[in-house]
Amino acid sequence: MVENNTFVQQYEIKGWDFTRAGEASCEIKNILKEIGTPPEIIRRVAIATYEAEMNIVMYAKHGVIHCLIDPHYICITLEDQGPGIADINRALEEGFSTATPEIREMGFGAGMGLPNIKRNSDSFHITSEIGSGTKLEMKFYL
Amino acid sequence: MQKQLHSIRFIEEKCIGCVTCIRACPTKAIRVIHDKARVNYDRCINCGECFRVCPHDAIASETTPPADLKEFQCTIALPSPVLYSQFDRDILPNQILLALKRFGFDYVFDEAWDCDLTTDALQEYLDTTDGPFPKISITCPVVVRLIAMLYPNLIKHLVELEIPRESAAKKFREKAAKSRGIPQEKIGVFHITPCPAKVISINSPVGTDKSNLDGAIAIKDIYGPLLEILPDVEETEILQLSSGIGIAWSIIGGEIMGLRQENCLAVSGVQDVIQTLNDVEAGKFKDTLFLECLICPDGCIGGSLTVQNRHIARRRVRMLIKMFGDHTRVSREMLLRLYREEYFSLKKEIKPTPFPPLDKDKAKAIQKVKQREEIFKKLPGKNCSACGAPDCRSFAQDVVLDERTIDECVFLAREEL
Repeated sequence: MVENNTFVQQYEIKGWDFTRAGEASCEIKNILKEIGTPPEIIRRVAIATYEAEMNIVMYAKHGVIHCLIDPHYICITLEDQGPGIADINRALEEGFSTATPEIREMGFGAGMGLPNIKRNSDSFHITSEIGSGTKLEMKFYL
Repeated sequence: MQKQLHSIRFIEEKCIGCVTCIRACPTKAIRVIHDKARVNYDRCINCGECFRVCPHDAIASETTPPADLKEFQCTIALPSPVLYSQFDRDILPNQILLALKRFGFDYVFDEAWDCDLTTDALQEYLDTTDGPFPKISITCPVVVRLIAMLYPNLIKHLVELEIPRESAAKKFREKAAKSRGIPQEKIGVFHITPCPAKVISINSPVGTDKSNLDGAIAIKDIYGPLLEILPDVEETEILQLSSGIGIAWSIIGGEIMGLRQENCLAVSGVQDVIQTLNDVEAGKFKDTLFLECLICPDGCIGGSLTVQNRHIARRRVRMLIKMFGDHTRVSREMLLRLYREEYFSLKKEIKPTPFPPLDKDKAKAIQKVKQREEIFKKLPGKNCSACGAPDCRSFAQDVVLDERTIDECVFLAREEL
């Protein structure tokens, strides 16, 4: 990996900050457009990153999105200080959600977040610890 | 007639190089270089925001001068329904259409009627399309260009139905040629337009190889003459066919007003449309069936070539909708026949025309993004535009692309002193 050809950017995400929610994923998407990424890949990155960013906003106190863009792949890592996921396998089932009524009122919490992220990324890795947080890594190959 | 490729033109003698337009441009297509505004037309979406804000009258819209009518043996006017909203309350659409005829058109057709037809066609289309959803309206040429340039992913969301002014122009040109016994190219078909973007959609159309229209005359250029003619108009014939459904197309929400489907949304204004398209791309609108997006505030009545205050115009449209009804007058039989005859079909696929990347080579493009962000960090971030770029990040990008040098930043230059 040639260091010089890799673009790295970090975004801080605050929990319940709904006014700025979605800005980081939109910025990442715009950079991908600027470097001439094929639209189909941009579409998948946009959807997966947005869902993951919203997960931090809705469930965690604080989180960081780390974005790495290389000529051959894109790697987005999201790390949060949140409640953690008790049963990852269940969370990956479509329709499973622990969202509060407030979150559902905003149109989220349909239990499609994680399945959607997994479906749209080329590689997907998630680890979580109850009470301390969740780390999600997704890759997209160019 | 000379074909222009752009909807606006900068008048160099009048431009003093202030930064009003460069800051208003949603795609950051304008720079001030040597005290004159310069547009990068590859990035221009023809929204007309610069035209709207220029305090020095230094931007002209490239519409058709009414004098060009003389170049044709026979002329047809297709007025945007917006025209009906520009006059006093006692002046009704039929009088306005008759006034247009007195002005000098051989035929005047009620374009709003084709909006009536297209509403029903859209209903049919939404019932049968497989998606992807939301389907996005193609009525506003600026939105179509914005999507083709910045949201190529959303091209497959665009509705594949011809827009009313194009389908109407084709039909009436054929009719007029037949009844006059002259070749179709001797007939001039003109749209009476509320916005400069229609000119582009006529000169370099999407979804078809050649527009069926020959030009677009600005409402503001024909308004004065119409005001003069109107008092003498005698209502000798009925030219208005449209109902309130067709007339409603002049305001935001008008396209969806006549649909029976409920799961539709309407968005207007540059910033709101851009925000919405970003959200569509993020998957936020996947449960919405149809999205009506119009770039001008409140829809076409907010076009920069209109004359009436748009709030008054909107009230006027509401009154006309009440007066002419919000129930379709299109018979289902006729609609299905037109649908079968492909009256509404787009002739050509709409293709993406994305902004060129920072570099063709992906590795170099990534390097340029990095360099831009590094330069950006050195800049004051005040977005003062004194350098001639709309904001610090755009300036940083211009430096990376060797179009500017970093010492052109007045803040950095001051520090040097």
